[in-house]
Amino acid sequence: MIKNYFKIAWRNIRKRKSVALINILGLALGFSCAILIFLFIQFHLTFDNFHKDSDRIYRFVSEVHRDHIAYKSTVPPALPNVFKNDYNYAEKVAKIIDRGEQLITVNSGATPQRYKPRTAFVEPDFFRIFNFPLIDKDFSDELTAPNTAIITREMAKKLFGDTSPINQTFIWDNKDTIRVTGVLKDLPKNTLINSRVFISFKTLQTSDRTSWIATESWTGTATSLQCFTLLRLNQDPLKIEQEMKKWPAKYHPEPVSTEDHYKLQPFPDIHFDSRYSNSINIKLLWILGAIGFFLILIACINFINISAAQSVYRSKEVGVRKVLGSFKDQLFRQFLTETFLITLIALIIGFGLSVLFLPFFNNTFNLSLSKNGLINFRFAGFIAILLIGVAILAGSYPGIILARIAPVLALKRKLTQSDTGSSLTRKILVTSQFVISIVLIIAVLVIGKQIKYATSSDLGYDTSTIVMVGLPETLEQAQLNTLKNKIVQSSNIKRVSICFTSPGAQTDGWGTDVNFNGNPKYEKFLIQSKMGDEDYIETFGIQLVAGRNFIKKDSVDEVLVNETFGTKIGINSPEELLGKPIKISDDYIQGRIVGVVKDFYNQDFHGTISPVFIAPAPDLWYNEIGVKINRKNTKEALQHIEQQWTSYFPNFIFEYAFLNDRVTEMYKSEQQFLSLTRLFSFLAIFIDGLGIYGLVSFFVAQKTKEVGIRKVLGGRVIDILGLFFKDFFTLIGIAGLIASPIAWYFMNDWLQHYAYRTQINWWVFALPIGCVLVLTLLIASYKGYRAATANPVKSLRSE
Amino acid sequence: MIKITDLEKYYRTEEVQTVALNKLSFDVREGEFVAIMGPSGCGKSTLLNILGLLDDPDGGSFIFNGIEVSGFNERKRANLRKHNIGFVFQSFNLIDELTVYENVELPLIYTGVKATDRKNRVHEVLEKMQIMHRRNHFPQQLSGGQQQRVAVARAVVNNPKLILADEPTGNLDSSNGNEVMDLLTELNQQGTTIIMVTHSEHDAKFSHRIIRMLDGQKVTENVLV
Ligand SMILES: Nc1ncnc2c1ncn2[C@@H]1O[C@H](COP(=O)(O)OP(=O)(O)O)[C@@H](O)[C@H]1O
Ligand SMILES: [Mg+2]
Repeated sequence: MIKNYFKIAWRNIRKRKSVALINILGLALGFSCAILIFLFIQFHLTFDNFHKDSDRIYRFVSEVHRDHIAYKSTVPPALPNVFKNDYNYAEKVAKIIDRGEQLITVNSGATPQRYKPRTAFVEPDFFRIFNFPLIDKDFSDELTAPNTAIITREMAKKLFGDTSPINQTFIWDNKDTIRVTGVLKDLPKNTLINSRVFISFKTLQTSDRTSWIATESWTGTATSLQCFTLLRLNQDPLKIEQEMKKWPAKYHPEPVSTEDHYKLQPFPDIHFDSRYSNSINIKLLWILGAIGFFLILIACINFINISAAQSVYRSKEVGVRKVLGSFKDQLFRQFLTETFLITLIALIIGFGLSVLFLPFFNNTFNLSLSKNGLINFRFAGFIAILLIGVAILAGSYPGIILARIAPVLALKRKLTQSDTGSSLTRKILVTSQFVISIVLIIAVLVIGKQIKYATSSDLGYDTSTIVMVGLPETLEQAQLNTLKNKIVQSSNIKRVSICFTSPGAQTDGWGTDVNFNGNPKYEKFLIQSKMGDEDYIETFGIQLVAGRNFIKKDSVDEVLVNETFGTKIGINSPEELLGKPIKISDDYIQGRIVGVVKDFYNQDFHGTISPVFIAPAPDLWYNEIGVKINRKNTKEALQHIEQQWTSYFPNFIFEYAFLNDRVTEMYKSEQQFLSLTRLFSFLAIFIDGLGIYGLVSFFVAQKTKEVGIRKVLGGRVIDILGLFFKDFFTLIGIAGLIASPIAWYFMNDWLQHYAYRTQINWWVFALPIGCVLVLTLLIASYKGYRAATANPVKSLRSE
Repeated sequence: MIKITDLEKYYRTEEVQTVALNKLSFDVREGEFVAIMGPSGCGKSTLLNILGLLDDPDGGSFIFNGIEVSGFNERKRANLRKHNIGFVFQSFNLIDELTVYENVELPLIYTGVKATDRKNRVHEVLEKMQIMHRRNHFPQQLSGGQQQRVAVARAVVNNPKLILADEPTGNLDSSNGNEVMDLLTELNQQGTTIIMVTHSEHDAKFSHRIIRMLDGQKVTENVLV
């Protein structure tokens, strides 16, 4: 029986190729998206799930209680040591300092080879807490001595080629010679840890400006430091946290609020706990999952509508089968088998497409999904559910319609539309397809609009004319000043500032404690620091609203603050702030306020403008040079900067970025989400279009006779096209009415993540509806026009 | 074998109610060959559909093989039909997507005959209908006469006790028509009961008895043998 079903199914597919093509293509596209989305979701759900004792691993984090709670994924560097040495909680404790890209030089051959791999400094137990195995051996005394490192296999290959990397050396940041003592298996992509070079923590204690992090300090924290512990068996983290609650008062009373709280964050929670850094919002996975589902739903609806309509052509077969004694449920099963076959073909094609497009997908959306994610039971289960689910979802309704065709009618005459499913059902289905597409397009428009708003609004500082140039880590003040003077000496350079970083950051950390006007207590809020020399505000175009800029001198005793600082203090007139003493972060900076600057967006549009101070750095904590250039001669300006820079730092790699690119970069995840949504909405519309084409083709075939008659009676082509438009016009209108509030609800919710939001205007709704309308009309007119202009005699005869 | 009494069937459309069968009664004995004649629209096809258990009467009684079947549900009717009744239509009604062989095999699949037995049986019937050489062709590739022979083959493949034929020669020329009539006669001589609707006095002469209808009622009955 099954064989017979498959046979006839296959012959039907071949007989009505265009219909099969529409169905299969739509489903295949839906499937390939679903598979890619599956990979994406799986990637995140399996994040760091390969560590043996995951349930006992915790990250030390802090809750900083001021006027609001700030969540830091770090603790003072002394804390882990106390935790390990003075208490009995931990089996192992390890710190890691992620220093981002570091300069690494290998002196093999004639010219030194320079690389900038992501580099971290780790304590030896780090690799005993986590499951990142060495190649060919177990951990013994790796990373215990200063100036040693272990590197990944991929990195070893890059640095040393095919020679054995063990005991080879490289130079870090042009100062320390580091010896490789071990090679790690390449790290998986779905882990929090993404460094390639791991240098022993002890190396930091001998030199380097981060040395304070490496010592037993309770003052100050840096996100680059993360601390992990593997608790002993049967420890209650809540009890431990209770004990840790006493620590701020015990170890570091002022200015740290005694309400600050050090906590243990369960390691498996890290990836989705969006309060802390290194996380993604789990909602994103839900949204993508829903989009995948809806794409498949659109394709299923195509299948349902087209198959139901096409059942007219199957009525004779159904009639005959019933005459020959077939039961209803046999016919239903037959049709399900056919659907299953089509679904299977679509799935195979969809699978092929997704494998084919995976590299492209990864590239475009900056992902690192692997084909290996498709070889597991989870995926097999997913595919099985997809196959069976879609076959049932798409096949049931047409199957019921076919099975209930009365044989007497079927054999007597061709069936009419009303015998092939109610037109109301079809209208509801088509409308819901339109709803999905319209919602997706609205989402694309709103996301795009918000990104545009965030990147092209006036941020309170210049972005388009400024180039940020990196600085090596060890420098001297004199060296910097001469470099600055050299760079300024070009007509294409307008201004130069040496600074810690540009005025805007994606998220501006949590800030430091501030004491104003000699008050007995530190303020209830934290202040952000913008360290830069006396040219900082001029270079970046930050405006003064009161007082003056600070003057260049050897000691730091003059400070600028922004308007928000005044508001937070409760002083609304900037003039009143002038001359008032200010103390920042435990006497790190002590001085007077000499000027107040206009508020600028110190972080991206997610966060509100914080209280900010601008001052020169007391120690040499400068990271970058901001150069305001003449954009008319960008190339010459860049050449000039590079020339000067490399003559000062011949052993380092020159790197620069335009500040407006950096601002765009802040919205990378939004951009990525936008690209994904754009792709999916395009596909939704495309699959919609396929369905419309299929339906219209069918109706045209049905109406050819009617159209022919009307033409004979003297109807104009336009009247005839009206036949097709009228229906779709209403359906799209209804779809627009349903889609708009739904989309508004979700997009408004999405916008709540931003402190500064774009408007959702009327055209955000009108445009997608218009798009769908135009597309539908184009398809309908193409098909309708051909029918309408066909020779009426011919179409009458063919009936 | 068949006893119908006061059989009634109405069709309702929005405006009108048509009486297709109006208290129709007659018997058919096993082994009989009955022709039903009458003008177009008098209810012949409706009658045949009810006799073939494709449709339910609105009133009256229909006893098939001693069982009252008028109240049967669709499943029971299908079960009874596939084992006992074969159909031949004016427009052949072969499934276009199946070959000659597969069309004829279909009733055997529905009655659950094993694959090897099916093969033997289909070959046997195709031989008999002299259409064996065309077994791998599709219906559209055959002439009308050949298609009707396939349809007859399909109708008899299950060895039904009753064959219902609705104008089986209506779409055929006279020589093909005669061939089909010869086939039916032969089947009847081997014991199959046949009820045939026809417009042709010529064809009706092959039967034992002619029932003439008008407006859903029986008008006359001529016994020929
Ligand atoms: N499905 C139907 N719906 C409405 N009327 C029908 C239907 N089938 C048959 N009829 C009507 O019932 C009457 C008998 O039809 P039918 O049995 O097909 O006649 P015959 O086969 O003798 O030409 C006719 O008036 C016909 O119009
Ligand atoms: Mg008839």
